[in-house]
Amino acid sequence: MASSLQHTAFRDIQKRIISWATFRRIMSVLLFLLVWTIIVKFIGYFHQLPGPQAVFMALFKLKPGALFTEILRSFLRVMAGFLLGLLIGFPIGVAIGYSRIANYLLFPAVELIRPIPPIAWIPLSVLFFINIESQIVFLTFYGAFFPIVYNTMRGISEVDIRLPRAAMSFGMTRTKMLWRVVLPAAMPQIFTGLKVAMGITWLMVVAAEMIASKGGLGYWVWYHNTVMEYPMVILGMGIIGLCGALCSLGIDLVGNHCMKWRGLF
Amino acid sequence: MQVNFQHDKSGFVFDRKTGVARDFHIKTILNLLSIVSLFVIWELLVHFRVYRFALLPSPAEVLNWGVEWVKSPDFWMDASLTTLRVFGGVTVACIIAIPVGLMIGWNKVFSDLTFPMLEILRPIPGIAYIPIAILFFPWEEASIAFICFVGAFFPILLNTIAGVGSIDRDFFRAARCLGSKPGQVFWHVVMPGALPSIATGAALGMGIGWMASVAGEMISGKWGLGYRIWEAYTLIRYPLIVDGMIAIGILGLGSSMLIRCLMMRMMPWRKAITESLDTTITT
Repeated sequence: MASSLQHTAFRDIQKRIISWATFRRIMSVLLFLLVWTIIVKFIGYFHQLPGPQAVFMALFKLKPGALFTEILRSFLRVMAGFLLGLLIGFPIGVAIGYSRIANYLLFPAVELIRPIPPIAWIPLSVLFFINIESQIVFLTFYGAFFPIVYNTMRGISEVDIRLPRAAMSFGMTRTKMLWRVVLPAAMPQIFTGLKVAMGITWLMVVAAEMIASKGGLGYWVWYHNTVMEYPMVILGMGIIGLCGALCSLGIDLVGNHCMKWRGLF
Repeated sequence: MQVNFQHDKSGFVFDRKTGVARDFHIKTILNLLSIVSLFVIWELLVHFRVYRFALLPSPAEVLNWGVEWVKSPDFWMDASLTTLRVFGGVTVACIIAIPVGLMIGWNKVFSDLTFPMLEILRPIPGIAYIPIAILFFPWEEASIAFICFVGAFFPILLNTIAGVGSIDRDFFRAARCLGSKPGQVFWHVVMPGALPSIATGAALGMGIGWMASVAGEMISGKWGLGYRIWEAYTLIRYPLIVDGMIAIGILGLGSSMLIRCLMMRMMPWRKAITESLDTTITT
């Protein structure tokens, strides 16, 4: 006994889910699997590459307990480095964007160090940190640090000048203005920075684990590479990608919660 | 805002005391102070053996070793090899990603057929491709170039797609009013309109390509700057590590700027592109 309004709404959803577009999207995945199988079966050079079937079979050979431990290890390192980067990078980014003095004092130093890729810091961090865990956490922190600082700084400096001016007309002080006006306005760009930082953090964790060999997803992939179990390698790659995507999704959810006003316009 | 790179005049809302001329001097002094204090703090930390800084090379050592290293032919061999690998990988990434991105942004059917799969592949970091790269390209140059390709591909692709999306729809309408065929619309509206974003993406991809090359060379390589850094560590020539890092940083920055200049030449209608390199869309 649905009303006609509910009926049309349901029809709209039906049209959106069951449509040519969705069909094409599913086809896209199938097309990829098809091309992959063709490459493996018919192009001799790639005969060592496992096809989708082999990877799927490998799924059943997984020992969930061991794999879960590795995923947890990587995840904890990512979280530690990311939160550290946020804790240290966010205030610095805000300072550089908001205060002219801080900008002149800190920005050149940051810009000077930024071009050096995080991976190039691996040898120095091995020298400096005795504990391998601290090495990895430092590298992930470094990876997260610069995108957060840079995007926060840009987000704050690109806030529409009319907003703080309007706030000043209402008699707001500078400190209050930071919390109530500037930061919320800079949020979209800040969250973009967080997503970029998350991607780079996962990159660094995988790289550090491949080299340091102390557990974690990167080590898992590298180990299976050395024993030549390539279906597991590809599975591992997929899992790394999945974890990274989930983390980015998490940041998106937090962002949507913080920026509820986005949908209003 | 205080620091707004495009419209500096808005920066004076808060500082009523400082005028333009005085601001200039304060800015230069503090900027120099910032850079100098970086080196001073480094030197002091190493000199007074704070925590474990005694193990790190001091700025003076880095400078001396650096000068010697640049004079040796070794350095030029390494630098040119790494540059070749990065440029090779990033160029191939551009060649594939830009047309695909333009098509995805322009044609919905094509987008539905390719984009979902690319989105699924996107979160996988380029480094995770190293085992596969070593498997298929036993020849070092190609395997490292492949990793650079993977690293640079997605930023370029995403920025191209965003570039097409950012073209004012009125341009399409104007083109249709003038009676253009789809091919002409593509060549005269879509491509030039997406060019600024493509430039950003290419510069970004170049930066990420350098990162990826360092990773690839550290894990598998005989020549190249990344490999040299790792070798310096194993041979206990620590100042060379920092020299290598600086070299990579300079070359990476230089190549990003090169791509940016190249792209800006193709866009004579843009007076200045003030956005910097780490904009919105990356891995």
